[in-house]
Amino acid sequence: MTTLAMSKALNEGLRRALERDQKVLLMGEDVGKLGGVFRVTDGLQKDFGESRVIDTPLGESGIIGTAIGLALRGYRPVCEIQFDGFVFPAFNQIASQLAQMQLRSLGHVSLPIVIRIPFGGGIGAVEHHSESPEAYFAHRAGLRVVACSNPADAFTMIQQAVARTDPVIFFEPKRRYWDRGEVDLALDPGDAYPLDRAKIIVAGTDVTVLAYGPMVKTSLEAAAAAQEDGRSIEVIDLRSLSPFDAETVCAAVERTGRCVVVHEAPVFAGLGAEIAARVTEQCFYHLEAPVMRVGGFSTPYPPSRLEDHYLPDLDRILDAVDRTFGY
Amino acid sequence: MTELKQFKLPDVGEGLTEADIVKWHVRPGDKVVVNQIIVEIETAKAMVELPSPFEGVVAGLLVGEGETADVGTPIISVDVSGGSGEMTGAPADTERLPRAVSPAERAGGSGSAGADIEDLVPSTPAQAAAKPGVQAGPTPKQQRQPVLVGYGVKLGRTTRRSRKPGAAGSGSIQVPPPPGARPPATAADAPAAAADARVTVLAKPPVRKLARELGVDLAPIEGTGPSGSITRADVRAAAARRAAPGLVAAAPRLAAAIAGAAAGPREERVGVRGVRKHTARAVAASAFTAPHVTEFLQLDMTATMEASQRVRDLPEFKGVRVSPLLFVAKALLLAVARNPMINSSWDDAADEIVVKRYVNLGIAAATGRGLIVPNIKDAHALSLPALARALSGLAETARAGKTTLTDLQGGTITISNVGVFGVDSGTPILTPGEAAILAFGQVREMPWVHEAELAVRKVCTLALSFDHRIVDGDLGSAVLRDVGAMLEDPVRMLAWA
Amino acid sequence: MTVDMDGAAAAAPDLPSVDGLAGAAQELVQLLTPEGERAEHPRYSLELSADEIRALYRDLVLVRRIDSEAGALQRQGELGIWASLLGQEAAQVGSGRALGPRDMAFPTYREHGVAWCRGLDPMKLLELFRGVSHGGWDPAAHNFHLYSIVIGSQALHATGYAMGIQRDGETGEDGAAAIVYFGDGATSQGDVNESFIWASVFNAPVVFFCQNNQWAISEPLEKQSRIPLYQRARGFGFPGIRVDGNDVLACLAVTRAALQAAREGQGPTLIEAYTYRMGAHTTSDDPTRYRLAADLEAWKLKDPIERVKAYLIRGAMTSASFFEGIEKEAAELGTQIRRACLSMPDPRPAQIFEHVYAEPHPLMAAEREQFTAYLSSFANEEGAR
Repeated sequence: MTTLAMSKALNEGLRRALERDQKVLLMGEDVGKLGGVFRVTDGLQKDFGESRVIDTPLGESGIIGTAIGLALRGYRPVCEIQFDGFVFPAFNQIASQLAQMQLRSLGHVSLPIVIRIPFGGGIGAVEHHSESPEAYFAHRAGLRVVACSNPADAFTMIQQAVARTDPVIFFEPKRRYWDRGEVDLALDPGDAYPLDRAKIIVAGTDVTVLAYGPMVKTSLEAAAAAQEDGRSIEVIDLRSLSPFDAETVCAAVERTGRCVVVHEAPVFAGLGAEIAARVTEQCFYHLEAPVMRVGGFSTPYPPSRLEDHYLPDLDRILDAVDRTFGY
Repeated sequence: MTELKQFKLPDVGEGLTEADIVKWHVRPGDKVVVNQIIVEIETAKAMVELPSPFEGVVAGLLVGEGETADVGTPIISVDVSGGSGEMTGAPADTERLPRAVSPAERAGGSGSAGADIEDLVPSTPAQAAAKPGVQAGPTPKQQRQPVLVGYGVKLGRTTRRSRKPGAAGSGSIQVPPPPGARPPATAADAPAAAADARVTVLAKPPVRKLARELGVDLAPIEGTGPSGSITRADVRAAAARRAAPGLVAAAPRLAAAIAGAAAGPREERVGVRGVRKHTARAVAASAFTAPHVTEFLQLDMTATMEASQRVRDLPEFKGVRVSPLLFVAKALLLAVARNPMINSSWDDAADEIVVKRYVNLGIAAATGRGLIVPNIKDAHALSLPALARALSGLAETARAGKTTLTDLQGGTITISNVGVFGVDSGTPILTPGEAAILAFGQVREMPWVHEAELAVRKVCTLALSFDHRIVDGDLGSAVLRDVGAMLEDPVRMLAWA
Repeated sequence: MTVDMDGAAAAAPDLPSVDGLAGAAQELVQLLTPEGERAEHPRYSLELSADEIRALYRDLVLVRRIDSEAGALQRQGELGIWASLLGQEAAQVGSGRALGPRDMAFPTYREHGVAWCRGLDPMKLLELFRGVSHGGWDPAAHNFHLYSIVIGSQALHATGYAMGIQRDGETGEDGAAAIVYFGDGATSQGDVNESFIWASVFNAPVVFFCQNNQWAISEPLEKQSRIPLYQRARGFGFPGIRVDGNDVLACLAVTRAALQAAREGQGPTLIEAYTYRMGAHTTSDDPTRYRLAADLEAWKLKDPIERVKAYLIRGAMTSASFFEGIEKEAAELGTQIRRACLSMPDPRPAQIFEHVYAEPHPLMAAEREQFTAYLSSFANEEGAR
């Protein structure tokens, strides 16, 4: 086992992917010489060459569109969108082309493309650098959407995503890039926890908290704090947002009878809404209280001096937990 | 013989539901070939020429020039019987291609429209039907509203498609079907933090609210709703029942079902959930794993019955329920002390028999939700009054549905009182994890040989089932004999205590 | 055949004034006049046998027939919509026949002529416009990508594909190239401009073939550019060339040269095929609302097929029976297409859930199961239409 920061764990995972399959390419702005603005691709162009680790011109639509062309030619591009807020120019290529080529071709064409997107806030940044756009992509059939929350998962999930035949939008919680954790660098991704399953991180009896990406750590902190109050909080890392692991989640909620979903994205029409509806429908008779959602307000992401008020924290999560006990 | 085909006004994609017939290029009797331009129509101030889909002879023009037709209405009928086939089309000449006609052209148009009118079939389908050789088309059930791109918007309808019986509500999208109630005992795979697990209660929010308002505890209620959930009626019935508790609650739903069976359908399906489900699993597991042998002993209980009466009056037993069960329990505990091997379990994995040095005495209890076997911990160490209190406390708790998981776990030997059901004996099935179970039946007066003479005595039958992997006939019989001896002469308990 | 990419740029006329956009007075590569006479061009030559010319004529006629039959079928309610290529046959057949077997073509949604040249069954196109599938053919089977309806998005795909060719090392005289088709309107789209950037910066072997048919639905060329489209390439750093889009010989010659240049590592070329959309944008459009019949009449005199016919007759390269034979073949093709269209089966309802993902997906499986059960819960088992 090695202790690694999440960004380094991703770097190691990408390295393995490049070594494993000659058709894997990395492409994006500043990913080559600079090694990425978060250093996630550090050192890879030096070792694998400019042909495989490509510094692209500045255009998100161009990055994804040419990646599609490369995939049509048999390559497996891993694209980087530098920040969440900059994915929107590429939205047409992702939504109209990447997501639909499988159906358009009746299965003749698959596009095994991974789009890595650092997402979420809490880094004191200016506009467009703290977004959580995962719901737009989860809503688009034809795409798979995942979010890692810790270094060990980051290492295996990125490799698993690259190995997939379907396109994968891979969200990386940027404020957790520097969090360190134990990573088994010898673990084969084929033996690792499956990409599309949720994981119970901490078992509990009183309420099931569902989180992904940056909110997993916050939820664990909330669970620890709740123990002092004598509350036993279960924390599940969803990991896969689309498809959603209803089996694991519903089994858990049926045991505890209470559920709280946490994400940074605004609550209104966020992923929590889909999860809440689905859990309510499938676990109805087991529910002691409605499924609660904790997330951002229905506003654009605020200036960084206000972001601590905007982002869900330990207290907001526990407040939601308390409210589930008010029924 | 004629074979008539009709060309229905198509969706030409102009965003209207109808079009005007401006000018027919053919008349009845004319020969037409596929793709030959036969009519100009006007939609939203644009003119479109329509090519014929058929080859043959024009039989009738069904909509007149200047008339408006809905999309989907037949506008021309063509007799295709004579042709070489409808497929050979017009030559690919740009002049013949369907094209939009400019307003300027239209304004200076040919003006031959008027001459054709008297040859036209009347415009309404009904009138057309009156003419021989012309069929009026059926009004299309589903029309489309043409839009700029594609076939156009389907117009709505106001009637439902009819469903097959029993099919209602099957259209909801959900991933796994909702599982039934989880019984408390199988929470073994639940997180270990469960110190005392709740019995999972299934009730939707309004029902929970009602229960709270009426002060009714949902846990012991057997739900009659979907998936075994508790309904409002169940809650109200429980509230009413609170006024009249019974010794053993019969299964009300089953009784009602049987009562209703005469009047209603010939079968009733009773869901297997909760405690009943768990019991079913447990007895099946037990019965098919441990080789069961049952031995019987019929004995004269008269002395015990008298002793029971005298003990009841003792001050130590004031307020405590004393019944023959107390004596059977005590006898069994003493028999276990004399024959420890009967109080053990079979460890398959280790190929070992685990002999317990304590007795957690299980008492099979029939509750409204089914059979459960709570046990009295360390019963061997209890005084008789304490044992009596434990027994009645156990029964009360079971009736109230408040038996905890801990109560249900860890038993080492069981007693099953089948006498309350009015039978003499039975072949009890071992509680999983135990080596023996003692059933005793009803005490009733029977002819007996007492002191070498026929007498009427209080007689009951004991049945001891044991796990033949652990207990051989020798041991089983010894235990049974011991218990029987103590019940025939309770003073013997003093000797063996 | 000579190629001179630098020459093309150098010979480009000075930037015209704003008024100087219309008409064919601009520099334009032409090898066959509208009257059917052979012309010479200093940089492009073409040596074709009589057989080859006749083959091109046949292509043009059959392509037009497919197009007109499909248009008629739409007017008869058999297709939801059809985008006609009337008038653009030469641009498509000329460029289509320039493609080598390893080259990959990326069309828009109007390149039925290129599809024909690549050997794709025309019924696959009708399937799309009838609403049976969104295309559904295997791009690798004919090296012809699926139709792209989002304007210009395919330009990036072609460029990426060309970057893949580079990585595969399939460059050189026997190498491969990509060609992407788009219209004048598409040159305003961001994706097309981004593809120019990528192609030039990476020197990708891709040919940008723009059919400037003068109209983007109702928007005339002036709404898309102040300068002739072929001159746009210069701003991105690669050659642009304008060709008479109604001249099949010129289109063939210029496209061949551009493809060869791409294969040999000289990077991209922008070809502007100057032509006219004789029909409507699609069957839902009414061009009489925004253009004059007089313009149409002027372009009829430049018909791409007529000039080849005139050339064949003038050059005594055919007999009357040849033309009759072609007409007959066209009529039969029309009949075949009609028959196939009328008998095309509708997709099964459960097909909604097929080919959404390459790998198994729990929600797809669950939804398909639910939907199938739902459908069979109705008393009569007709489909939901």
